[in-house]
Amino acid sequence: MRKRTFKRCLTGFWWFTLVFLYLPLAVVVLFSFNASNSAATFTGISLRWYGRLMGNEEILSAFANSMILAITSSVIALGIGCRIGYGMYRHRHRKLGWLIVLIYLPIVLPDIVFGISEMAFFVQIHRLTGLLQPGLGTMIIAHVTFQIPFVALIVYSRFVGLDPTLFEAAKDLYATPIKRVVHFMLPTIKPALISAFFLSFTLSVDDFVISFFTAGPESATLPIYIWGAIKKGVSPEINAIATLMIGAVAIAAVISLVFSRRRQA
Amino acid sequence: MNRASENREGTPMSDPITAEAIEPPAEPSAGQAEPGETARQAASIEMKGLHKRFGRDTVALDGVDLTIEAGEFFTLLGPSGCGKTTLLRILAGLEEADDGRLAIGGKDITEVPPHRRSVNTVFQSYALFPHLSVRENLAFGLKMRGMLPGERDARVAKIAEFIKLGDLVDRPVDQLSGGQRQRIALARALVNEPDVLLLDEPLSALDAGLRSQLQVELLRVQKRLGMTFVFVTHDQQEAMVMSDRIAVLNGGVIQQVGPPREVYEHPVNAFVARFMGHDNLYPVTARQGARLTTPLGELTTEDAGEGSLLLIRPETLDLLPGEVAGDNHLPATVSERLYRGSHAEYRLEIGSSTLQATLNNRGRHLPEVGDRVTVSVAPEDLVTLSE
Repeated sequence: MRKRTFKRCLTGFWWFTLVFLYLPLAVVVLFSFNASNSAATFTGISLRWYGRLMGNEEILSAFANSMILAITSSVIALGIGCRIGYGMYRHRHRKLGWLIVLIYLPIVLPDIVFGISEMAFFVQIHRLTGLLQPGLGTMIIAHVTFQIPFVALIVYSRFVGLDPTLFEAAKDLYATPIKRVVHFMLPTIKPALISAFFLSFTLSVDDFVISFFTAGPESATLPIYIWGAIKKGVSPEINAIATLMIGAVAIAAVISLVFSRRRQA
Repeated sequence: MNRASENREGTPMSDPITAEAIEPPAEPSAGQAEPGETARQAASIEMKGLHKRFGRDTVALDGVDLTIEAGEFFTLLGPSGCGKTTLLRILAGLEEADDGRLAIGGKDITEVPPHRRSVNTVFQSYALFPHLSVRENLAFGLKMRGMLPGERDARVAKIAEFIKLGDLVDRPVDQLSGGQRQRIALARALVNEPDVLLLDEPLSALDAGLRSQLQVELLRVQKRLGMTFVFVTHDQQEAMVMSDRIAVLNGGVIQQVGPPREVYEHPVNAFVARFMGHDNLYPVTARQGARLTTPLGELTTEDAGEGSLLLIRPETLDLLPGEVAGDNHLPATVSERLYRGSHAEYRLEIGSSTLQATLNNRGRHLPEVGDRVTVSVAPEDLVTLSE
């Protein structure tokens, strides 16, 4: 009897946590469809705020910046990160613990420290050489730096899960080093690569702090635009943007999860 | 076997690196011929002074000289850590020898990387590619060598028929049983028609019944193809069933090379004798011509060797009821009997020594535990060997 009560309490706690996590999001989504301007009363369903978004040049350009930034940085991070992940796998028998820590560090470092450091670094370089003017370019570099560890770790863990004899079987079956990459390694880690790409994409779209410090005047992304816009108060338009972002990130996260779970044993 | 040696003498070895090796055999004769008839030739293997160490202290191979004949089923036998797997990996090119030379089919390939050797391996873990279907796994080697899809399909179909894979080729790799994986790993190696096939304990992960079934199958495949097989195992029964010749290794050194009967009946030292399953080993304390003094008593042998150990194989002994005087007759007491149907295994006490004996069950009297018996052994069955 007491056990059952306890179980019910746990179940209740679980639902409470879910409500606590998702209710604010639900409110934002709901009010993005509000027919009136009010942030307090819901007067009926309408898509007028979404229509308004489409006509707003600033929002459209922020959206485009976000997409360019997320896709470009994810592609670059994928290219670099998968090589690092393979390197970590190849040399896993050596005592490289400290190197692995170096790979993890950017993940746990506070974003604001990371952002300020990047900004200071870019400003110095710009002053000395005239290169790296703050803008999409610097943002892409900054995003790539924080995405690489995630990609490297995902790829590394996929390699670790493989039978090491497979590498030898590929050699034994006449595959040259390049053919081993094309016909064995890349296809084998494909799920990990897809998962890593969408995780990087999500991280990039989400990021505000690092983007904020490394952005230039023309390169506001959606989070930066929202931050600027809410100084004038939360408009239903912001709810609409937020809803679209929730949708996009959720889809990317689900794709990432599906591919990270996929194990073709 | 005959065909193999004919080919070896009749046609020059093709260079595994040139395009010739990539091209299909001269007469594919469109599916009629079995792979056995299209295999180009078997190749011999020569190893000279192979050394290999891991780290500073671990010596895996300590000077291996060995010649494996073309078309031979050759087994490397030994306990784990004896260097047999290292030797196989050096043949495959997956490991580089620190010193020594290696030639296959008369060509020195010591420094040739694995993907340019006409050698294929059946791995212990089978190592089937998880991202590919069975069919794609089978075609992998042919594809890597640049064979066109049409020819690949024909070769894969042929080998699938030869190994009797049936509908296995259309199944996903992760739905195969151990035995099925083993056969696909074998087919994936054979389809390339290599000069030499290497097998690294390919049956060790299977249960006993399946294992002996696949032993027979593997042996038949080898005899029909006439291909040189190098087989690694730690199981002396398996080695004896399969092999034309066996090399017994210990501590990175070859102890003995020979046909199964020779290695089993005339082991050169105590290690080989024990590894081949012999327990009846007794020190020779004195020797006068053919007369040996042992803890069992005085025995006469026809062995002219100067070995300090006497080997008595259990199956060469006869047990006579009661005490019977005679040459090479030893009085003994039965202390244990294991009845196995086709034969019975005995443990006998002679003084403070024990002796194992095996008697065929041919409807004769089988002594009981506690019986006094006389052990009789023929002089030609007594072998001496060194420590």
